[in-house]
Amino acid sequence: MKTHFQTRLALVALMLIAVSAVVTRAQDTRLQLSSLDHLAAKASQSVDVAVDERLMRLASKVFSDQDVEEREIKKLVAGIKGIYVKSFEFENEGQYTAADMETIRTQLRGPGWTRLVNVTSKKEGNLEVYLLMNGELVGGLAVVSSDVRELTVVNIVGPVDLEKLAKLEGQFGVPDLGIEPAKPKAKNEDEK
Amino acid sequence: MSYVNLKSFTALVLVLLLTPNIATAKGDDFNSVVKMIEQFYGVKHVGIPFLANAGMKVARTAARIKGGEARRIAEAGSIKLAVFENQDFDGELAKFRSTLNTALNQTWSPLIQTVSATDGEQVYIFLREAGEKFNVLVITIAQRDATVVQVTLSPKNLALLLKDPEGTGKAITEEATINDQE
Repeated sequence: MKTHFQTRLALVALMLIAVSAVVTRAQDTRLQLSSLDHLAAKASQSVDVAVDERLMRLASKVFSDQDVEEREIKKLVAGIKGIYVKSFEFENEGQYTAADMETIRTQLRGPGWTRLVNVTSKKEGNLEVYLLMNGELVGGLAVVSSDVRELTVVNIVGPVDLEKLAKLEGQFGVPDLGIEPAKPKAKNEDEK
Repeated sequence: MSYVNLKSFTALVLVLLLTPNIATAKGDDFNSVVKMIEQFYGVKHVGIPFLANAGMKVARTAARIKGGEARRIAEAGSIKLAVFENQDFDGELAKFRSTLNTALNQTWSPLIQTVSATDGEQVYIFLREAGEKFNVLVITIAQRDATVVQVTLSPKNLALLLKDPEGTGKAITEEATINDQE
């Protein structure tokens, strides 16, 4: 009896460890952006969007299957566990520092994150796009868009690609980043 | 300790333990936020009857709301509105934001928060489930005025809010405070 009880206890413990590992992994895909909060005091305009997992679940419930646009959005956000945006616009240059950027980049140098190099933006300034890979699957995406008077960080948790991101621009508080995945060169273009 | 005393003691402990919960259950986050703004900025909100006597836009709209006129975004009769007019909202933005988020984070999800230092406007939108529907709390603070609006939304209108949080939040406040019959 004691052995049976101990086995059950061990199983429960193992399950708890497994669940907590999954939870930790899910949490890891969300970037910690609160280090940028102090910039709001210096910014002429700041926007903070947090569509967490609970709101994403609501979103999948409230978008109608009857409406073509809403059906499209529903498909788009399926599986996404969160959308987080912090954006700052400044009157003057030099209001945010390399140290501010580093708090984000340090996280993006963590395991699983890969920087995509073939992405450009219609907007001026620097654009960095990172994908978080969980094996073969995309577990998240991060965009850091910076200019001398602007800093925007977008973090989408869950399966998302650039095409999805482009469609999400202007919705759920995702700003217009003007993202354009580089078009593959035509064959004869290479031959020239 | 006698049996009766033990029973009384147990009852007292239960009452003491349950009192905060009762207070929370009865507590109205809308009123708490209004009070919090009053305390933080040292301002006073204007009651709707006073506004009605003054013949102000807000009051006319509020009266129409109370009359149950069909709303475009908010569910009929669901609007709670508090208005602060011609007062100074000087205070540390970050501190106010943190106080507000701490006060609401148990029951509400923050959706979008925008701060414009240029024109001194802060907008906070919080969301929570209310059965089949949803409550939305929109707090707008400008340099001299502020509004706190709580509405109930249908799932269809929640979809609007999620698609465009900033625009729909503004529309909710406008719906509660602007007389569109003018």
